[in-house]
Amino acid sequence: MSLRPNKSGKISKSIIFSLVFLVLGYILAYSYNLSKSQSELESFTGSTLFEEEERLRQELIEQQERNKSLREELMEKQASVQQFEQSFSEGENHSAELAEKTEALRRYLGAVPVEGEGLEVTLRDGEYKPDSENPNDYIVHESHVFQVINELYISGAQAISINGQRIHKNSHIVCTGPVITVDGVQYSAPFIIVAIGRPDVLKSSMELTGGVLDQLVNDNIIVTMNEEQAVSMPALLSES
Amino acid sequence: MWLSILGLILGISLGLLTDVQIPSEYANYLSIAVLASLDTLFGGIRAHLQQMYDDKVFVSGFFFNIALAAGLAFLGVHLGVDLYLAAIFAFGVRLFQNIAVIRRILLAKWSNKKDIEEAAR
Repeated sequence: MSLRPNKSGKISKSIIFSLVFLVLGYILAYSYNLSKSQSELESFTGSTLFEEEERLRQELIEQQERNKSLREELMEKQASVQQFEQSFSEGENHSAELAEKTEALRRYLGAVPVEGEGLEVTLRDGEYKPDSENPNDYIVHESHVFQVINELYISGAQAISINGQRIHKNSHIVCTGPVITVDGVQYSAPFIIVAIGRPDVLKSSMELTGGVLDQLVNDNIIVTMNEEQAVSMPALLSES
Repeated sequence: MWLSILGLILGISLGLLTDVQIPSEYANYLSIAVLASLDTLFGGIRAHLQQMYDDKVFVSGFFFNIALAAGLAFLGVHLGVDLYLAAIFAFGVRLFQNIAVIRRILLAKWSNKKDIEEAAR
């Protein structure tokens, strides 16, 4: 330097320098930060998605297990309530009547597992017919299931289940393509419809001339009926 | 001296703390600004070693080069011409030249000193 700077000049010079270095450092650090975050963005590939999926699946499983344990707890509680009611019925005559009534009603609602003698009706798809163009002519539709269930209820069935799933007063049976959805659970043929009631009455009402059985056979459906001495059904809450 | 180091540290920490995301097409401007500032810095060091350093030239060059490079890249993006390549090329060449000159000067000084010491012995 040819000119010797005085003191104030030196201070202002260092201030300018610090400003320059501040800008330099800021630009360097900012671009470093930016490129780092961008490379992080690029590394977000399928593996993380896979991990995410795995995590969600794990969560779902945990949730289901929790549901199951809660359901078991509910069953226990209901059993204890039943015990209370029984002890009531032993104590008081009046409340005994009521408790028996609730017990019977509960059986109808499907809140408790039931067992007893009954009828088992199995509906199978008909044989494949090469000459028939429409497969609808020989598969089981939900209307057939409706017919059977209605006939069984009319002839005094106390509880009905389809493929082991209990039917209650709000059940919905929907045709979803080749399968039938019962309360959100899908089933394909064969459908095993179990009804609790007097087996001989149920069977003879099914076999009425021009009745349900004849109509089903007319629709190329294979129907088998078994009188059972002891069938059991789960309560409504148990899973599928 | 200490004030400038403080400024550098402050700038780096500010830059690391800034969490603003800018679109990737503007990241080009930033890289050119980095190149321009580095070029000016090495140019300043070279000028200092060649005894022709000037405050005003250095400071104005520092900011003006950054602005010019970013502006050129901006113009290039809007015209559809990759003008930022020109800036990268120019600054890159100058950066290497400056560093080469600095190396030569330092080498010459070092060997000169050695010669003088030899002569004195």
